[in-house]
Amino acid sequence: MAEVFGLYKQRASFIHGLHPLTKLAVSGFFLLAGLSLPGMWSTYLLVIFGLLPLAFLSRLLLELVSRTGRIVLPFMISVFLIQGILWSGGTPLIEVGPISFKQEGVQFAIASSGRILIVVGSFLWFALTTRPDQLMLALAERGLPSSLSYLIVSSIQIVPRFQARANTILDAQRSRGLEIAGSIFQRARAVLPLVAPLILSSLIDVEERALAIEVRGFNYPGPKTSYREIAQAAWEPMLQRFLLLAMAGTLILSIVLRLVS
Amino acid sequence: MISLQGVTYSYPGTSSPALRDLSLEIPRGQFCAVIGPNGAGKTTLAYILAGFIPHFYHGSLQGEVNVEGKNAATMPQRELLRLVGLILQNPFNQISGTKVTVQDEIAFGLENLGIPREEMVARVAAAMELVGVSELAERSPLGLSGGQMQRVAIASVLVMQPAILVLDEPTSQLDPVGSREVFQAVREMASSGQMTVIMIEHKVEWVAAFADRAIALVDGALLADGEPRHVLAIDTVWRAGVGQTRYTLAARRLQELGKWQDGKRLPVTLDEATLTFKAFQKRR
Amino acid sequence: MADIRRNFTTITIVLIPVAIAINIAVGQLIYAAKIPLYLDTIGTILVGVLAGPWAGALTGLVSNLVWGLSGLNVTYAPFAAVAAIIGLLAGLFAEARWLRSWWKAILAGLITGLVAAAISAPISAYVWGGVTGSGTDVIVAMFRGFGLGVLPSTFAQGISSDPLDKAISFLLVWLIVRALPMRFLARFPGASKTTD
Ligand SMILES: Nc1ncnc2c1ncn2[C@@H]1O[C@H](COP(=O)(O)OP(=O)(O)O)[C@@H](O)[C@H]1O
Ligand SMILES: [Mg+2]
Repeated sequence: MAEVFGLYKQRASFIHGLHPLTKLAVSGFFLLAGLSLPGMWSTYLLVIFGLLPLAFLSRLLLELVSRTGRIVLPFMISVFLIQGILWSGGTPLIEVGPISFKQEGVQFAIASSGRILIVVGSFLWFALTTRPDQLMLALAERGLPSSLSYLIVSSIQIVPRFQARANTILDAQRSRGLEIAGSIFQRARAVLPLVAPLILSSLIDVEERALAIEVRGFNYPGPKTSYREIAQAAWEPMLQRFLLLAMAGTLILSIVLRLVS
Repeated sequence: MISLQGVTYSYPGTSSPALRDLSLEIPRGQFCAVIGPNGAGKTTLAYILAGFIPHFYHGSLQGEVNVEGKNAATMPQRELLRLVGLILQNPFNQISGTKVTVQDEIAFGLENLGIPREEMVARVAAAMELVGVSELAERSPLGLSGGQMQRVAIASVLVMQPAILVLDEPTSQLDPVGSREVFQAVREMASSGQMTVIMIEHKVEWVAAFADRAIALVDGALLADGEPRHVLAIDTVWRAGVGQTRYTLAARRLQELGKWQDGKRLPVTLDEATLTFKAFQKRR
Repeated sequence: MADIRRNFTTITIVLIPVAIAINIAVGQLIYAAKIPLYLDTIGTILVGVLAGPWAGALTGLVSNLVWGLSGLNVTYAPFAAVAAIIGLLAGLFAEARWLRSWWKAILAGLITGLVAAAISAPISAYVWGGVTGSGTDVIVAMFRGFGLGVLPSTFAQGISSDPLDKAISFLLVWLIVRALPMRFLARFPGASKTTD
């Protein structure tokens, strides 16, 4: 199953065996709590006491940390430099030669970095431990229209094929000695003629692909069945419901906290 | 049982018809091959049988199409869907893209029909066995070779057990061994009386060996209809650009060299060729 | 009628994943060629134009989720709403027949880019602290240096790139629609409003 999906990583962990909706609820909770709770440090608490232990249990701690780091670090550096130094009218906190980090700016940067961390981290944790087709199956069982799950799964599957085609085009261009270099206009002149056939040829296939799913009853009226079954432990629906309640609670709490302060 | 009467069809926005005054009857359990050069209207015929014309492609359709005694144009599409299975020309487009493994891909049609899971599992396994893709069950359908995809495409329609199976160039990506296997499987299904098969094909050698009947289309019109070995020996069919078996080609070469007895029928199959060429040798 | 609607849905549903793949493949190609544009919403705009505003919006939404789920660019996911608005606007402009002439297409792109910059600024400011972690942050830094607030600086950064990018994208879609065969276009309700 190595060829399945971009992000999903198979591991022998009990987290991987959880129902997709349970994991969706967990990461949804992190996302909501991280984005709504006030204070600079709340997101860091969520990461340290929630996300990292879960990643460890999923046997993906290093994977998650390195992937998240690669995405988040440039943001953090930018946000600390720009908002920390260029905060207008702030109280100087640390001075390095002519430049100074302002207290308000640094606080803003800490809060932003925390939000970036929790958003990227919980999204990645979810995607690393959940197979998209199983997620769609679980959502279909809850009434997600089959056309939506078709959309999402086939998009994820078509994208790598398309990228491969785009790369073939690029390589072919290079091997013909047509370097994509020079001024912006020269580069654009080199790339756009490559893009056009890629787009047009893929669009022409659409008609036959529509017929192909029609012929297999994509629009057949009546209830559909499913070839795969997703296992779910008895306590999981309870946890899911609890997490939904916790999300509502967190939302109310953050509104109250913001009103109070 | 399929019957077409005086069917003429033009795609929307075109002036010349893709099919002209076509009349045909195909009895239940027959293995009928459709041959003809590119643009002859073979795929159009397949679309008519599957109801895509007139339901998906509008245009102008005249004449009558009956499938199992009912008018295909007025029959509810879901009913037609259960009767007629269509395997499209391009296997890359036939893969739904919404499934992650070959067995899920094959089960897709059954899920849509609402078949219970236990039955689905049995039917998927049987279909994979029949077209020889059992060992690919856990592979990603989009990562297969063209030939493997073609087999999966066939299995994914076969598994729906249609009464009529229409295959549009189903061996285009297969090597000779694979092509032969597909012809053989189709032959068996037709012979067992389970299915009526209409197969659009360019590989006339196999058509001659396996099909009950060949229909030659040229420019949307019926040019010849009959036993493959008769149809494939007809001069006008050859001139229209339909492929020939190597035996017929050998005979045609002799004809060109003036060494063929006038009016003598050209051989199409190996058996015929053996007989004719033996007689030919004796006369010399 | 029911049949037409049904068929319209199937072909649109098949078109959307292809459009998303176009977004991603073209976006990455442009990035690889170091052209200072994104051009990663061409597919979304195309669906909006051909299949209508709702289909366009759905394409944008799913597109950004797929950028994330396939591990290509997780940072796009929070901007799913912006992508949806781009698809929606493309559909509305096409319905208003702005995709008939190239200059109106460019104008539609400029407006769409402005709207996109306006909605992405608060998201970017709140979730990402107003930065992108890439070279364009120089612009944010400049405006912050002038004493502008976080939100205005982020918006200024968006204005410096989005309208131009969307104008070019709309123009390319205008070209693509013209290159597509009539029999393909006839499958979509929006096509008649884009050609004369
Ligand atoms: N969707 C369409 N719109 C207009 N013309 C079409 C369409 N599909 C096929 N045709 C035309 O109809 C004729 C028959 O095509 P087709 O049935 O595909 O032939 P074959 O399968 O024998 O190669 C060709 O001239 C082709 O160009
Ligand atoms: Mg054909």
